[in-house]
Amino acid sequence: MLSPKEKKDKVVRSTDIDALSCRLSANSKGYFDPPDPFIDVLVQSYKKYLRFTSGYSNLSAGRVTRTSFSESKLPIINNGTYLRTRLVDLIIEKFIQKFNDVQIVSLGGGSDTRAFRLLEKYPAKLRYIEIDFEDSCRIKKLSIVNDSNLSRITNCALPKLDPTSKEEFQSINSNYDSERYCLLGIDLRQLPHAGSPEAELLYSILDKLKPTLILSECVLCYLSEEENAAVVQFWVKTFKESTTYLSFLMYEPMSLNDSFGETMATNLATRGINLMTFQKFPTLASKVSFLVDECGLKRAFATDIATLGGYNETHQHGEWIDTVDRNRIRQLELIDEVEEFVLLFKHYCICFGEYSQSTSLSLVEDISQYQWVCSKSL
Amino acid sequence: MEDVSESQQLSHTFGNDESTNSANQGSSSSIRQETPAASIDKLDQWIEKLAKCEPLSEGDVKQLCDMAIEVLQFEENVQPVHVPVTICGDVHGQFHDLMELFQIGGPCPDTNYLFMGDYVDRGYYSVETVSYLVCMKVRFPNRITILRGNHESRQITQVYGFYDECLRKYGSATVWKLFTDLFDYFPITALVDNKIFCLHGGLSPMIETIDQVRELNRIQEVPHEGPMCDLLWSDPDDRGGWGISPRGAGFTFGQDISEQFNHTNDLSLIARAHQLVMEGYSWSHQESVVTIFSAPNYCYRCGNQAAIMEVDEQHNRQFLQYDPSIRPGEPTVTRKTPDYFL
Repeated sequence: MLSPKEKKDKVVRSTDIDALSCRLSANSKGYFDPPDPFIDVLVQSYKKYLRFTSGYSNLSAGRVTRTSFSESKLPIINNGTYLRTRLVDLIIEKFIQKFNDVQIVSLGGGSDTRAFRLLEKYPAKLRYIEIDFEDSCRIKKLSIVNDSNLSRITNCALPKLDPTSKEEFQSINSNYDSERYCLLGIDLRQLPHAGSPEAELLYSILDKLKPTLILSECVLCYLSEEENAAVVQFWVKTFKESTTYLSFLMYEPMSLNDSFGETMATNLATRGINLMTFQKFPTLASKVSFLVDECGLKRAFATDIATLGGYNETHQHGEWIDTVDRNRIRQLELIDEVEEFVLLFKHYCICFGEYSQSTSLSLVEDISQYQWVCSKSL
Repeated sequence: MEDVSESQQLSHTFGNDESTNSANQGSSSSIRQETPAASIDKLDQWIEKLAKCEPLSEGDVKQLCDMAIEVLQFEENVQPVHVPVTICGDVHGQFHDLMELFQIGGPCPDTNYLFMGDYVDRGYYSVETVSYLVCMKVRFPNRITILRGNHESRQITQVYGFYDECLRKYGSATVWKLFTDLFDYFPITALVDNKIFCLHGGLSPMIETIDQVRELNRIQEVPHEGPMCDLLWSDPDDRGGWGISPRGAGFTFGQDISEQFNHTNDLSLIARAHQLVMEGYSWSHQESVVTIFSAPNYCYRCGNQAAIMEVDEQHNRQFLQYDPSIRPGEPTVTRKTPDYFL
């Protein structure tokens, strides 16, 4: 039996299956150009090993993977999945191109394939660290060691592994460290606790000097208000004294204090998902002020996805997606959800905040072609 | 704005005798009046079953669709409708909210209804919703008018849920085929007392007069372009003139276009559906166009109110707004959570 905390964690882990099923659907409909070759590898790993993760049986895992990975999603979800992926990529690529030798730390990224795409594209410039629940890391580690392509990309020298029981799966070390790519199976919420073994483990693999970008896509929103602040503050504190440059890139839902947001919170609560800071940070302004005022970043920016994707009538020139790409994705499927696009996408945002010792070190110039709806500086 | 509880007392009891009203309706009504008693019994049984949100058998759907074709094929592209009538927008398979609509607006046939399309897709009960409305149409042909929406099409139902729901509930695509074949016969517009032009989407650059709509051959799948497509897909817009629709079908049309159309055809209003509006209804183009949307909390996600528009004998208009129904019959716990980005 799972404890109440383990049950909650299982629900949070399950959100990764949602995200992966969205990427799978968008990829199969041709949204990603070029197509993402790694998504299928992760799907196969989930199909094979989800049953060995904590809280799942053969039956329940089979049911989850069958329903999640067989249905194609509606155009609105495919479109939003594409936008989310593409917009985050845009900023990250600017970051890599500016600093040249960088570190990216992805929080709770689960089965995200961005690390593999970037490591393949920028083989010499990048160290990528992924932190997630132990079981989520094991699923990912199995994808890597059993796939020659992923092993090559991550410089993995580990032998293939094929656990056939829960015990065998659970005995796999969830951590994995190659020169360029690192998986860390720890609970993010433990990091801020002084002297925690999780933090010690992290420090042993982290390069505190490299320009670093911390990426969090729909992760912090599941934490409590206190955990949320403690986690972000932990990262700022870790790098503040040493690094030349630290930035935070987040993709998050927001309630906007309206009936759509209220319905979102109610709907997700029926699945056991609590958006614990949904009311505390309901708007773009509250998000940037959290990063600057509470977390100690020097400047922060935020824009909603409706604007970035070119769906916001009142910010018609706010989109980051170029016309060619926008026309390409709008022609992929018959779309009859235009008002819904605006409504749903308005409730998600990209937030970017940075800290550097020298004011000249900033990504602001490099991303100046992209407009932000909301910003704040110290 | 009328409070919902008060509005229920406003439902029109316009006489229960079908025949007294038949002369009031279109010229082809004599054909429709010859519904045999046995068929009426059968229809009443089906309606009773459907009212409990239980789908009809495949065989019954076949019979129903045959009966419906007999009625609908004689209706006109511009179906004449008389006041008083209650005009409704998209329903989208939200069966329990449709029952709420009849609570708010008054039961059919005591109240006359005009539905402007989009009965299927998105909600979880498209089969029950469209079966119910078609049954009501066949049972009370002069009391309810059901227009075609852009979702009443073979292509779009394969993307947005009706096809999958038929497969799930019947094990084959037969019922989907029966209904989508029937949709070809649905009228595409209605004209209320020659003053309110009702349709699902909006205007077409190829249509200047209502007579031009009468000349169309509507008995076909909704085309990808052309006047019939536009009538089911277009949207009013703040920008003047004709514009490219973000939906990839139909056009956007400005106030100048609406005013010209209303002037040319001596209309007071264009009533249409098609777009989600948070209050359930929304005026455009200085009250020359109204959008009515009758699916509250659309897709169980949008948090919007729904509305219907009553037009009385004096052509006074009144909107009735309502929220999603919480009904004991609806298994809210077991239904799938709508998709979000997680």
